[in-house]
Amino acid sequence: VPTGVWIDERGRVVRPGEPAWTTSRTSTFGGKALVTEGAEYVAAIRDWVAKGDKSVYALSDAEFARRVQPRSPNEVDAEANFALAVWFHHGKHPELAKKHFERAQQLNPDDWNYHRQDWSFTPGEAGAKWLDKFQKLEAPYYPKLELKPKPDGRD
Amino acid sequence: MDRREFLRAMGGTMMLPATLGAQSASRATVLYDGRAIVLNRATADGDALWIQTADLSSINGFELKPQGACREDICIPIPRPMINGTRFNLSAFAQRVGQRVVADPVMRVWSFGEIPVVRGAFLESRQSPDFSVPDRKGRLVRLSQFRGRKLLVVTWASW
Repeated sequence: VPTGVWIDERGRVVRPGEPAWTTSRTSTFGGKALVTEGAEYVAAIRDWVAKGDKSVYALSDAEFARRVQPRSPNEVDAEANFALAVWFHHGKHPELAKKHFERAQQLNPDDWNYHRQDWSFTPGEAGAKWLDKFQKLEAPYYPKLELKPKPDGRD
Repeated sequence: MDRREFLRAMGGTMMLPATLGAQSASRATVLYDGRAIVLNRATADGDALWIQTADLSSINGFELKPQGACREDICIPIPRPMINGTRFNLSAFAQRVGQRVVADPVMRVWSFGEIPVVRGAFLESRQSPDFSVPDRKGRLVRLSQFRGRKLLVVTWASW
């Protein structure tokens, strides 16, 4: 799964991280749709390359700030716990690593990265755990592209 | 490469696991911004971590100046109790700037979250951080080498 960031000639971030598909495809897994929006994304890149700051896909400061929301205390705590877990994992302290891997998942249950890294230590159970969480998802598994700013700047 | 190998490889590049072992009373490890910084002259007072002031910039890019702890255009006034001779209370600094900390003082490791004011400065400037990665031949490539050209930076993960 590719994630793309656009940076202009001055080193300024034009668009923050978002799915960067290059092909459009819809497939189904477990009764849920998996959608990739590549054609739209590639067209947006081409527009930006041709028009620069004048492209409708070059985000304003307000739109950029809206998309790069401050992280919640729980999200930041989860990240700190995850870093600690990785540290203990490398230091051969599996019990301490487990404690902090689990804490990261409790604090930020929406972050697949924490689940998948933790599940990699129990590969026999990983598939079932993934499928269970996947099927309970209400939001699309792959985030939907939001290429153009909303017309009135509101959510 | 399976995920466990990936985790090992990624951790190996960012952090130095060999340093986690028997820790001396003055040794501590700080995790911040994807890096592990080993300090040889740090002291713990409960959960609080005191470091050598000279080590501050290697941890988070801040330097102590007469007007406070400064990083580029940001300066945070520092109350006197946060400094004791050559030592600086890094935990109190974190509290002052709203930075979250998860610590295991027994293992002498402190994991610091992002600094909100630094994130805020990025939102204002939108300047990409300069970083380097090895290319396919192992040569380091810096983002700033591409200044003057439009860039699409793509990362991949399996999910």
